[in-house]
Amino acid sequence: MTEQSNFDYLFKVVLIGDSGVGKSNLLSRFTRNEFNLETKSTIGVEFATRSINVEGKTLKAQIWDTAGQERYRAITAAYYRGAVGALLVYDISKHATYVNVTRWLKELRDHADSNIVIMLVGNKSDLKHLRAVPTEEAKAFAAENGLSFIETSALDASNVESAFQTILTDIYRIVSSKSLEQSEDPIKPTSGDTIQVSHSVDQNQSQGGKCC
Amino acid sequence: MVIGEMDSEADERAGALGGKPRYDQGVVRDDAQEIVDDPLRLIDPKPGRSSSTSRVDSQPGDSEKLMREHSIRTNRRRKFVECITREDVDIAQLRKLAWNGVPDELRPLVWPLLLGYLPLPKPTRASTLARKRREYSSLVETTFMRGRDGLDQQIWHQIEIDVPRTRPGVRLWMQESTQRSLERILYVWAIRHPASGYVQGINDLATPFFQVFLSAYIDSDPEEFDTALLSDSVRMAVEADTFWCLSRLLDGIQDNYIAGQPGIQRSVKRMAELVARIDAPLAAHLDAENVEFMQFAFRWMNCLLMREISVQNTIRMWDTYLAEGTDAFSQFHLYVCSAFLVRWSKKLQEMDFQGIIMFLQSLPTQGWTDHEVEMLLSEAFVHYSTWHNAQSHFGGK
Repeated sequence: MTEQSNFDYLFKVVLIGDSGVGKSNLLSRFTRNEFNLETKSTIGVEFATRSINVEGKTLKAQIWDTAGQERYRAITAAYYRGAVGALLVYDISKHATYVNVTRWLKELRDHADSNIVIMLVGNKSDLKHLRAVPTEEAKAFAAENGLSFIETSALDASNVESAFQTILTDIYRIVSSKSLEQSEDPIKPTSGDTIQVSHSVDQNQSQGGKCC
Repeated sequence: MVIGEMDSEADERAGALGGKPRYDQGVVRDDAQEIVDDPLRLIDPKPGRSSSTSRVDSQPGDSEKLMREHSIRTNRRRKFVECITREDVDIAQLRKLAWNGVPDELRPLVWPLLLGYLPLPKPTRASTLARKRREYSSLVETTFMRGRDGLDQQIWHQIEIDVPRTRPGVRLWMQESTQRSLERILYVWAIRHPASGYVQGINDLATPFFQVFLSAYIDSDPEEFDTALLSDSVRMAVEADTFWCLSRLLDGIQDNYIAGQPGIQRSVKRMAELVARIDAPLAAHLDAENVEFMQFAFRWMNCLLMREISVQNTIRMWDTYLAEGTDAFSQFHLYVCSAFLVRWSKKLQEMDFQGIIMFLQSLPTQGWTDHEVEMLLSEAFVHYSTWHNAQSHFGGK
């Protein structure tokens, strides 16, 4: 019924970026190897998972795909909490979606953990003839802002695997070095490798008023 | 005027076999223009056309059950016809009838009456309709007068992205002509409602109206229909009626779409409180698994369950919502959502966080017919009757 929980690390990752840049298809390409030209818009958030192996460890990615429209920010920003990684996606054929990357970075600064690992993703690289954002420009922007960078195509699958692999590996490196540093800490669990990096939802229990 | 591959006689034969026939492009009714001018024309008996009269005649070996169903259908239809052909429609009676479902062929008439778009007194209907359609036409004209550059770019851009993603794969909605209609409807609505503007999901809500109103003028499956076949006046009537009825529906749930979406926040919160009362073990399990209602019910409120059930199911559900009154789309709806969740209670209680979220993202409702929807509505009604006036049970108040 549900996936067996034999993973070493659980990482919560969010997919953000303007409407129509292909976030949902990146997710379905990565988690189900599917691409659909006829996708409905994402309302609120959608969820998927996949596990990969890095250096002998099983990393399970819990990925939240968010709606791109401005109006949904209030809802989607709640999902940044506890996220250890973010794929910030733009469409290489739509310059405006690249311009908005700055606004998305601000969203992350305002709502996400300050240590969140961010990867800038230029999607739709198959649309070569329509390219509106030069690779070098985006690469330079990413470097300036301390983001990793990759161009992908959810349609022809190029670099999708690599994008997720890279960001999950980066997160793993940071987390495993941290847990090494903290291994003397008596409060932290020292047995086994399992570290729940992402307590995705438990901060909100006080939200609903309970009846007397 | 009949357009399509078969003549009207064959059409009637096909109709007699049950279900709406499918054609390459679709069939426009001969009397489409008359229906534009006077929607009561829909009631005129047309032998062989109405699905309720054709089936039994053609099958001499009908079982008693079929006969009984047929007679119930005919009886129901007669009650509706009696009600809406009065000089002044008794809205209470119409609501009562509609709660249990409206016959397909009468829906294009009944929905606008329930919404107050079509006046209840018969004599003023035709002129009101004509005026509202003219009004919409002139709204469209002034809105798009200065071409693309005159539009609010942000709103237009979002609509442009979403229109091709509305019911993708369904022929009606993949057509140029239908997509242009939907764009106009959504854009004109958005600029007239600056507090919300266009919000993703509103596109979904326009589709049941469009399909229902389109069905009045054609003799084939609306989802397969090529709207380029419609005359300008019929197309404009469908578009204008969709616009005004969508507007009325949205008037009742505008809070869902303004900044911060407080209407949805409130509904989701109340739904969580309600589920805790009607199915405590489920609520406890969701809580233990750290599942938040917002993670799945946000969409249920934002798109009125249209992402969870078929358009046919939605249309049947809206018969009841419209019978309850337009605030049903915010009030009664949360009871429907609660009943909907509780329906899967047993399964959900065997799942962990991931299983629950994934399951609620793609619920097995593909085979749902009117029957399942009606069960859901009845369960919702029971909860509604029990809890709706018990406001003190809700922590938020």
